Amino acid sequence: MRLPAWQRLKPEHRTHSGKTAMNSDASAQPTASAGSAAAGGGVDVVIAEDSRIQAKMLQRRLTEAGHTVRWGETGAEALALVRERRPDIIVSDIEMPVMTGYEFCKAVKTDPALKTLPFILLSTLADPIDIIRGLDAGADNYVTKPYEADFLLGRIQSLLASPLEEDSAGAEAAMLEVTLAGQQFRVKAGRQQVLNLLVSTFENAVAKNQELVVANQDLSVARDNLQRTNSELTDLNEQISRNNAQMVRDLEAAAKVQQSLLPAQDVTIPATQVAWRYVPCHSLAGDFLNIFMLDEEHVGLFVVDVSGHGVPSSLMAVTVGRFLTPKVSDQSLLVRQGADGRIAVARPAEVATQLNRLFQADEFSGLYFTILYGVLHMPTGRLDYVSGGHPALVRVPAGGTPEFHPVEGFPIAFVPDVDYEQHSLQLSPGDRIYLYSDGVPEAMDKDRQQLGDEALAGVLAATRSQSLDESVKALLQRVEDWCQPIGPLDDVSILGVEWRP
Amino acid sequence: MDQYRRIQTGKKDNIHIVLFKDKKILDDTVLDEIKTEINRLIGNAAGPDMLLDFANVEFMSSAMLGLLGQLHRKISQGQGRLKMCGIRPEIFQVFKLTNLDKLFKIFPDAPAGLAAFEA
Repeated sequence: MRLPAWQRLKPEHRTHSGKTAMNSDASAQPTASAGSAAAGGGVDVVIAEDSRIQAKMLQRRLTEAGHTVRWGETGAEALALVRERRPDIIVSDIEMPVMTGYEFCKAVKTDPALKTLPFILLSTLADPIDIIRGLDAGADNYVTKPYEADFLLGRIQSLLASPLEEDSAGAEAAMLEVTLAGQQFRVKAGRQQVLNLLVSTFENAVAKNQELVVANQDLSVARDNLQRTNSELTDLNEQISRNNAQMVRDLEAAAKVQQSLLPAQDVTIPATQVAWRYVPCHSLAGDFLNIFMLDEEHVGLFVVDVSGHGVPSSLMAVTVGRFLTPKVSDQSLLVRQGADGRIAVARPAEVATQLNRLFQADEFSGLYFTILYGVLHMPTGRLDYVSGGHPALVRVPAGGTPEFHPVEGFPIAFVPDVDYEQHSLQLSPGDRIYLYSDGVPEAMDKDRQQLGDEALAGVLAATRSQSLDESVKALLQRVEDWCQPIGPLDDVSILGVEWRP
Repeated sequence: MDQYRRIQTGKKDNIHIVLFKDKKILDDTVLDEIKTEINRLIGNAAGPDMLLDFANVEFMSSAMLGLLGQLHRKISQGQGRLKMCGIRPEIFQVFKLTNLDKLFKIFPDAPAGLAAFEA
């Protein structure tokens, strides 16, 4: 646009129903004395709005501002109200049944008696074509929805302050050609109408732009916050994965330490066959077992089962393991250097009593353990053993049926100052003995039925003619089959020994 | 209103009666909560008399025995008496395997357990 249109406006002096028209060439500025509402008093407003809630809200704001409000639910109703009594201004929604805002506007603007009425269209202005439609309808003002009530009130005030000239909407109306979005439109519109509409559209754009600027600022604040939170999260995540990796390393290291509690892979004991299986149910176990030479004639063997699982139990297992070593040391409860320089093998009952004394300190952890510890004298086949609350030892004679040898004795760390009783078993050549943790007889199937001693004995009897290793393997298999599909919920340890002098 | 999640408590003639609510005492978390709740119940009282009722318990891990051991020790040290009842055969098996049936005083049901305190 080259020049503001109002500079080229020719004044048209007409009066209408007591209203004073403008009379100066360049007087498009608001003239305070003009409208009936300009003095600040209330004016008569007709609103057309099909939404009852929006109508009520608008009505309330207008009434609060001192205006009189009449409300039509459709364009047609509102037009009837306008014809009934001429208002000072019209505010109309666009989308309405029966008669749209455009049709309503056109009806007003083509009525010679009404055409100077200021008409505000409430538009979403979702489509530029709305402007063309508004022009065509003769509207002289747009307020975009959603609007601030104060903005609309301000617009009403300014429109009333600069009333339309009687003829501005019609007299200068000319056919205009407009190209919009590649489409040509022919619109009949007056100059002042065009000007007013453009100014109102521009004001709307400015208002929207301000909102956008504010929204943009909010957004960038939110984005900054998000970035900060994000980087904090990333840091936390890294920390968690570092900690996690550390924990995995620690667990692996602990599991390795636990492995050291088990027999060497190539364990060979003269005059005996050894077979064992050890399956922890977590990476760290409370079970461990071992067999080793204590001196030239004695073999020490045990299965230990610390209550519970996981780190606390495995720590206790490692601690217990340090005392159950065949290396002569201050710590070993199994062997010590005798006065004559020879190695003295401790009696199993003494070992259990000592262990119980040592671990009474553990009253806070609530952990305890069961143990079956035996010392086999290889030349004679005499087995001395002790049980601290452990499942019974099983002997399977060559060609005979399995025998359980349950003995009494509380779990270790349970009852202070008890003496453990020692028991003996005379083996015959070819006899097998089995030590195991309660994970074997108490293995639970999916209905929580326990495997039981009979099944255990059944496997050992059935595999008596096979190798010792086959029998231990078969027993473990039986346990694992029993626990399908979830697998054993407890550590499983089995140690088999066959005496072959 | 019951203030405990794992145990139901009652008192008769200064004997604490503790009924375990759980059918399964297997998880470490359940165990820890039971321990916490019993400790809260006893507080600093020296060796109160206590009857533990296992009537609801169908499955129990051996770790529970550790807790019972601690409780037994604590109560005995304070000259109190700990008795148990309502232990079904499968669970009694756990006590028997570890010989703890000889350590703990076990009775068929709550009335029998309570009567034993008067003897």
